[in-house]
Amino acid sequence: MSTATAIELDRVTKQFEGKRNVMALDSVSLAIPRGEMVAIIGPSGSGKSTLLNLIGGLDRPSAGHVRVDGEELSNLSDDGLTKVRRDKIGFIFQFFNLLPTLSCLENVGLPLHLRGWTRKKVDERARELLDLVQLGARMQHLPDELSGGERQRVAIARALSIYPPILLADEPTGNLDTHTGAEILTLIRDLHARLKSTVVIVTHDMNVAQSCERTIALRDGAIVEDVRRRAASPGEDVRRKHTGVGAPE
Amino acid sequence: MTLLRLISWPYFRRHVLRTLLTVAGIVLGVAVFVGMHTANHTVLDGFSRTVDRIAGKTEIQVTAGETGFDEEILDKVQSASTVRVAVPVIEAVVDTNAIDHGGQGNLLILGIDMTGDRSLRDYDLESGEDAVIDDPLVFLAQPDSLMLSKEFADKNHITVGSRLPLGTAEGEKPFTVRGVMKSSALTSAFGGNLAVMDIYAAQKMFGRGRTFDRIDLAVRPGRTIAECERELQTMLGPGFQVEPPSGRGQQFEAMLAAYSMMVNISSAFALFIGMFIIYNSFAIAVTQRRSEIGILRALGATRRQIRWLFLGESAVTGLIGSIGGVVFGVVIARGIAASIGTLISDVYGQTQSTTEALATDPRLLGVALVIGILTSLVAAAIPARNAARVDPVQALQKGKYQVLSAGESRLRAMLAAVLGAIALVCLVAPPLTSASRQAGGARALFYLGFSLVIVVALLLSPLLSLGLAKALRPLLTRLRPVEGVLAADSLIQAPRRTSASVAALMLSLTLVVAFAGMARASYDSIINWMQTALNPDLFVMPSQSIVVRTIRFPPSVGPDIAAIPGVERVQTVRDARIVFRKTPIMLVAIEVASMAQTAQRVPVAGNADQMYRRAGAGEGLIVSDNLALLQHLSLGEMLEIPAPNGLVRLPIVGIIVDFSDQQGTIFVDRRQFLKYWGDDSVNVVRVYLKPGVQMPDVRQRILERFAGQRQVFVLTNAELKAYILRVTDQWFGLTSIQIAVAVLVAILGIVNTLTVSITDRRRELGVLQAVGGLQGQIRRTIWLEALSIAVIGLTLGFVLGAINLYYILQIVQYDIGGMRLDYEFPYPTMLALVPVMLAAAFVAAIWPAESAVRGSLVEALEYE
Ligand SMILES: Nc1ncnc2c1ncn2[C@@H]1O[C@H](COP(=O)(O)OP(=O)(O)OP(=O)(O)O)[C@@H](O)[C@H]1O
Ligand SMILES: [Mg+2]
Repeated sequence: MSTATAIELDRVTKQFEGKRNVMALDSVSLAIPRGEMVAIIGPSGSGKSTLLNLIGGLDRPSAGHVRVDGEELSNLSDDGLTKVRRDKIGFIFQFFNLLPTLSCLENVGLPLHLRGWTRKKVDERARELLDLVQLGARMQHLPDELSGGERQRVAIARALSIYPPILLADEPTGNLDTHTGAEILTLIRDLHARLKSTVVIVTHDMNVAQSCERTIALRDGAIVEDVRRRAASPGEDVRRKHTGVGAPE
Repeated sequence: MTLLRLISWPYFRRHVLRTLLTVAGIVLGVAVFVGMHTANHTVLDGFSRTVDRIAGKTEIQVTAGETGFDEEILDKVQSASTVRVAVPVIEAVVDTNAIDHGGQGNLLILGIDMTGDRSLRDYDLESGEDAVIDDPLVFLAQPDSLMLSKEFADKNHITVGSRLPLGTAEGEKPFTVRGVMKSSALTSAFGGNLAVMDIYAAQKMFGRGRTFDRIDLAVRPGRTIAECERELQTMLGPGFQVEPPSGRGQQFEAMLAAYSMMVNISSAFALFIGMFIIYNSFAIAVTQRRSEIGILRALGATRRQIRWLFLGESAVTGLIGSIGGVVFGVVIARGIAASIGTLISDVYGQTQSTTEALATDPRLLGVALVIGILTSLVAAAIPARNAARVDPVQALQKGKYQVLSAGESRLRAMLAAVLGAIALVCLVAPPLTSASRQAGGARALFYLGFSLVIVVALLLSPLLSLGLAKALRPLLTRLRPVEGVLAADSLIQAPRRTSASVAALMLSLTLVVAFAGMARASYDSIINWMQTALNPDLFVMPSQSIVVRTIRFPPSVGPDIAAIPGVERVQTVRDARIVFRKTPIMLVAIEVASMAQTAQRVPVAGNADQMYRRAGAGEGLIVSDNLALLQHLSLGEMLEIPAPNGLVRLPIVGIIVDFSDQQGTIFVDRRQFLKYWGDDSVNVVRVYLKPGVQMPDVRQRILERFAGQRQVFVLTNAELKAYILRVTDQWFGLTSIQIAVAVLVAILGIVNTLTVSITDRRRELGVLQAVGGLQGQIRRTIWLEALSIAVIGLTLGFVLGAINLYYILQIVQYDIGGMRLDYEFPYPTMLALVPVMLAAAFVAAIWPAESAVRGSLVEALEYE
């Protein structure tokens, strides 16, 4: 099924039960059109990660509906959710979450292996993506042997390995210095432009937020602000120079 | 497959020690299984093969238990219309080691009638005069003639014409080797240690009188074996066994039933322990690899993929471990076979060839491989399921332990309560219908209850160890304020990590308690029995071992010894294995009236005076308690025992505790025995001395009296008792290997838990060091943790062991030995075990503690 809306939340509530019940999300409704790049901001504990996990099908809402690509997630079994994840969603985490025992190439190829691709095809694709994030020379290195920025680039290559229509990034620059953070952001923006993916970035960094077409602010589990601006990109050519790849025609 | 290579292989490589421990679990289980069974097969096969090879073209064998039968039976059998040829046989094993000059091991001597025997067996000579066999008279004319197998002759460099001294009933006699037989199936019997002599010479040499052990025969062409069996059975009566040669193998197996049961319990337990180690390792691995699982799930791995990943790992571990176990098992089988061989000759009097090749049954090895892999898969099933259920969101949040959820604890407790209640019902229910106590259904219920108790203990072990850890906390705090708290909290925070090791420890200690308790109770009973039953001053026997019955005395030995100065009284005993209700049991012919005066036994059922009077008058039989239990006999019951001279029909007039034989014993008065079995030979002469006489003097006089005429061994009372206790030790020795293994396993479990606990708490330990914790403090924390695990394991192990012992004693009583043993908790062993286990825990903690101290600070703090 194909619709113009990539992600749709309809009065989504998420409550964590425990010693103290926490209302992480309180009846949030939201629609993100296909191909949009959205930043989600808000103070710590405001429910950003929770929101992202719900979109990614890692978690289920207490109430309300989440639709991804028109597909209603609450109707799906665990395997159904997994299938949505493996076909449609790429995750980028703050702490990279690379498997320390696997080389860069293997880390990037992992989602493809999970889909049962042949080794040859997996390696081909993984190489292509590592080239894309400019780590072609570090294929056989282990994550421990890379810098933080490089690790995050491997994680991005991994998230993109399936050419996901939706890319979810939870504070991708949160663990990096300003300069490296900017580089990663540029890379994501570039890939967004190139692959036409829908991108949702959770961030604390206002620079990151401002470079997105749309910014959604959360506080105490509710949307307090939703701003769309004309894509104010620093310039197509700069990015092209930086990453060395051009947008697909 | 790819996942296994990508995810599991690096994990294995990084945790070499743990992987080795896991594999070792299966290696151990499978090795014990393969070793025990291969050894058992080797011994059983060795026996059957020997029977087979000696049988030659024999189709049917006629025997009467071990008692032998009169020569005239041969004429009867030969006259049967379905018989083509029938020949007599005597078999005896002599120990050539007993002779000073030349220890060549056990030699099986076959006494045959050269005239007829060649139609059943081939005796082609390699060297020597063919006349020896072509003209049997040559052989007959010289009663010292002996033919050897080529194998035995070559091994010992014996040639035709050599003299070979052998211990016989008539003392050591030199034999002349008149021929060496070509290698054939026959000569390879009994590991090649075979010699042939004339049957009439054999009768004399082995004190057989005018009897044969066996008749081997072939069926007349055109008649079937079944027809022939029927004809002979009718002709000879139920006192004879008429069956194909393979029947002897079955008898042999039946005799070893108690032993086989032991083997099965041991190997099942070993596999169970192996299973537990695997479970332990995988449960820990799943907790440790939660974030990895979370990542995989986020990247699109399905639950099924995660589950198969872990099951795949366990299958590979199982395969590798099984292969290792099979190899290792075959290696240890040789040693076990030797010890079984000793056991069998000491306990059952069946001397084994010591040179049989190992019987490695490919089917058994295949089964072992499959069992190893299955065990591994079953063990990993629950951890794999837990892995598949890991919640990706939680798993990706750092630094969370997987704690026992309240719900799970409640579920475990409830399940344990329900199963515990069922177990109790299983235990209590059977006596309500006490008539059916021994019935199959009741036994099944009993075993169900037993298994449930173990399951309940395993279910409860996490909760109980958590509780005990909490109870230990104040104590540890008092002991060491900082280290104690840290150690206790580590146990409390991650009960899963601890409980698997505790459970392994608990299980192995349970086994130790059970076996120690059983051994202790058995010793007590056996010593008790020896005190009353074995009270003569001297025992005179025709062979070195009391259980070897192939060499016997003629009846005249009794009066001969009685006439020796200083001897007050002699009693002759003849024991022989017979077949009673399809089970080989021991028949003991005693002089009841005389025994009643010297060794008054208190019957467990019946009146002592009446028992001795009636049995002595030939009006009844005395049976052993274990026979009564195993065969469900009761006082007054009429027994029918088929004998060569007719059916013995006598009531049970008394039941006494007796440990002569594991399958049970029937005591009959010697006169009855002579009447029905026609066997007047003697196995043992019990000698009582006159008061004030010096024992060594009399012993010397007995030896001198028979010097040069007959082979005589004299054991003092103390020597015989020591011998019996040694055999008992051997019996439990096999199981003590098992105990050592189990304890070792527990130590490995602690190492495993500690290394995991340290990796889990890398950061905590790092912080501790960073804020000024001394290395000594870190070390002591780990040590205390290990000691606490040991203390918890010991506590639970002793409790479960105490319960388990009850069940084991019941099993021994009703299903294995028929031994009625008193429940007695083996305190001495247990007290000795406490320091041993604490020391073991400490040893297990040394390496992990050092690695915790040496771990780089920076690395520890950087860790996520
Ligand atoms: N598994 C959980 N159990 C209980 N409460 C949770 C759980 N996960 C999140 N919460 C709570 O839900 C609220 C929102 O959490 P969330 O992780 O979405 O915040 P966030 O906006 O991502 O914060 P940060 O910027 O610090 O990452 C918080 O109050 C948090 O404590
Ligand atoms: Mg967050």
